[in-house]
Amino acid sequence: MDQRPGVTRLVHTVREVALGDRTGFDAGVLTVSAEEAAALVSSPALAAVRLAWVSPGDSARIVKVLDAVEPRSKGPGGGAIFPGLLGPVEGAGTGPTHVLRGAAVVVAGHLPRAQEAVVDMSGPAAPLSPLGATHNLVVEFDPAEGAAWEDVDEALRRGALALAARLAEAAVDAPPDSVEELPPAGDANGAGGLPRVGAVTNLQTQGTFKDVFVLGKSFTGAPPAFLDANLLDDGAVVSGQYGHPSLKNPTYVHQNHPVVAALRARHGRDLSFAGLVISPEPVNQGQKEDMSSEVARLCADAGWDAAVVTKEGGGNADADMALKMDALEDLGLTAVGLFAEMAGADGTGPSVIVPPERATAMVSTGNYDERLTLPAVEVALGGAELALLGVPATAEMELPAAVVYCSLSPLGWGRLTCG
Amino acid sequence: MRVVHYVNQFFAGLGGEDAAGSGPDSREGAVGPGRRLDQLLGDDHQVVATVWCGDDYATGEGAVDAVLELVRRYEPDAVVAGPAFTSGRYGLACARVAAAAVAAGIPAVAAMHPDNPGLDEAGAAPVVASGDAARQMGPSLDTLAAAVRTLVEGTPLTAEHGRIGAVPRLGRLADDSAAERAVALVLARLGGDRDATEVPLPRFDSVTPAAPVDDPSQVTVALLTEGGLVPDANPGSLESARATRWLRYPLPGGDGFAAGEWRSVHGGFSTVPANADPNRIVALDVARELEREGAIGGLFGEYFVTTGNGTSVANARRFGIEWAADLRRSGARAAILTST
Repeated sequence: MDQRPGVTRLVHTVREVALGDRTGFDAGVLTVSAEEAAALVSSPALAAVRLAWVSPGDSARIVKVLDAVEPRSKGPGGGAIFPGLLGPVEGAGTGPTHVLRGAAVVVAGHLPRAQEAVVDMSGPAAPLSPLGATHNLVVEFDPAEGAAWEDVDEALRRGALALAARLAEAAVDAPPDSVEELPPAGDANGAGGLPRVGAVTNLQTQGTFKDVFVLGKSFTGAPPAFLDANLLDDGAVVSGQYGHPSLKNPTYVHQNHPVVAALRARHGRDLSFAGLVISPEPVNQGQKEDMSSEVARLCADAGWDAAVVTKEGGGNADADMALKMDALEDLGLTAVGLFAEMAGADGTGPSVIVPPERATAMVSTGNYDERLTLPAVEVALGGAELALLGVPATAEMELPAAVVYCSLSPLGWGRLTCG
Repeated sequence: MRVVHYVNQFFAGLGGEDAAGSGPDSREGAVGPGRRLDQLLGDDHQVVATVWCGDDYATGEGAVDAVLELVRRYEPDAVVAGPAFTSGRYGLACARVAAAAVAAGIPAVAAMHPDNPGLDEAGAAPVVASGDAARQMGPSLDTLAAAVRTLVEGTPLTAEHGRIGAVPRLGRLADDSAAERAVALVLARLGGDRDATEVPLPRFDSVTPAAPVDDPSQVTVALLTEGGLVPDANPGSLESARATRWLRYPLPGGDGFAAGEWRSVHGGFSTVPANADPNRIVALDVARELEREGAIGGLFGEYFVTTGNGTSVANARRFGIEWAADLRRSGARAAILTST
């Protein structure tokens, strides 16, 4: 039996933010040196980097939102944070992790294949996005002339992670506001007669700009695998997936994996948290079927009684859900899937594109097509206009929920449902 | 409360199929079945006007807007449509009038049989069940009147009130996150509740193919397509995706569609091969051969076209109902619908 302890979250709550001469964290106030932050993100692929804060309640909007990262650190010296991309894998997923709760590093701007995503810091869209409730350090950028877009993407990813780690390092000497102990991998405490329930997390893997990185490597083409859920806390899963604004799973949400959190919350009481299986979402139907068979076998072999299955993206990602859920049920496991409904603006269309046939337990994360009116705002970051509508980024705009960042969070962050 | 009642030409007393092309019109007070409805509504509510339209006219473009304009003149607190029983065009009109009223902020309810193809056209408006034919007018009006009284109180209609059809899937915030609800659903299922779910399985239509034509050499055949084939300039502005309309164009003479004069605006596939030979979207070249050989009685002089690419089921169903009504009037007795 693995004797490594799980992660101990040392939570520092960010109550106020500022730009200043030096980066520091004191009594809930996070101050960032824009000069130091820009230097951390700088790269030959980037001509310019600009930084600005937006906070909950501001009359502010972020457009063209790419990834978002929660500041985290393993303590003085850095250590195994964002393993495989920033730090080493050795030491990740165990021991103390400093968390700057209530803050996020948010990259915003144009990349190819990225679909424009919107975050509002006030108004009706704010409660629909995890970034509506965080102080966001927004990183805007200009690509260097002649730089390949792939290099721009990689520079932004490494820069955002380095910046997130640096912000959390500022808090390592501060007393935490709270301490959260996570059970180690394979912890059977309280298992007794409780049902063993795990999480199956599909990661969208369609190549550059629509990819997810696990321990620093592209997950495209990889087989499904168990991953110690404690590794999520230290940033083992990093998003490079910029399609489907409402249906994306940014790094921030992987770090706070809502299904894993909900399973842990009932661990030892109503169920035994049985672990996490990650699976690619290939685009080919035959590969989808193969992945589904393999995931079901992994879960059954590990003795799971049930699984919560999640996805990333729309349309064909529903097929990955349906196939996996049916495959799990065929092996005698109970499967529950989280689905975003696509029911048309008035909610009357058939809402699930590829429903499961034998597994019929579905949770709704809202209606993709339902329209919202966002008020005009004073400040917009990420771009001067929303190209999707051809309007200034600060303008009043009517949008489907599909455009609001993480509004239908496939990992289950949100409270939206239908009916 | 002021109630406006929508009926078709038959229940307005204008006539049957011969009057199906009548345009929208209205008069004050209750007409036909509206008189009984008015009695059943009691003293607090009155049918202040009746608006009607012919069944064929009602399926045409702009008809619902014209009906709604008449409805609004009477400043109603609620709109009631039907009962339409199993009559397809009437059911479609009732559903669309109720949907338009709700979209305009006026509470509305339609009544029809659960098998009526108009049922899924009601948008966000509720529909209550009626019998299958006018001989069940009495009990159907009882259900409808009770539903109207509930509606004007501001109470949402449910299956208890006779509501049928899908309840719109519109967003609301739950107390718990989707992840927390998923775990609760796992535990409910493990606890033996085999039906627990937040998402009802979608209902897909099962379409029974029509019987084969006895003698094709005696019938007029229409060509239809969802392949987006239009004159090169796309004069009707057919959409490349999520079509909201269909168009009709005369079939060209000669042996088929000429490359360069026609093109597909479909946004769901590469149109290069289609534009190189438009007959591969609508097989007019082969159809002309069959016409010359006498294998078919003749070709209907126009083809109907829309774009089947992310088109809503509600719009697709409406196009189908409109195409069928149009072809029946025109005398075409068979159709070849090409799909891409």
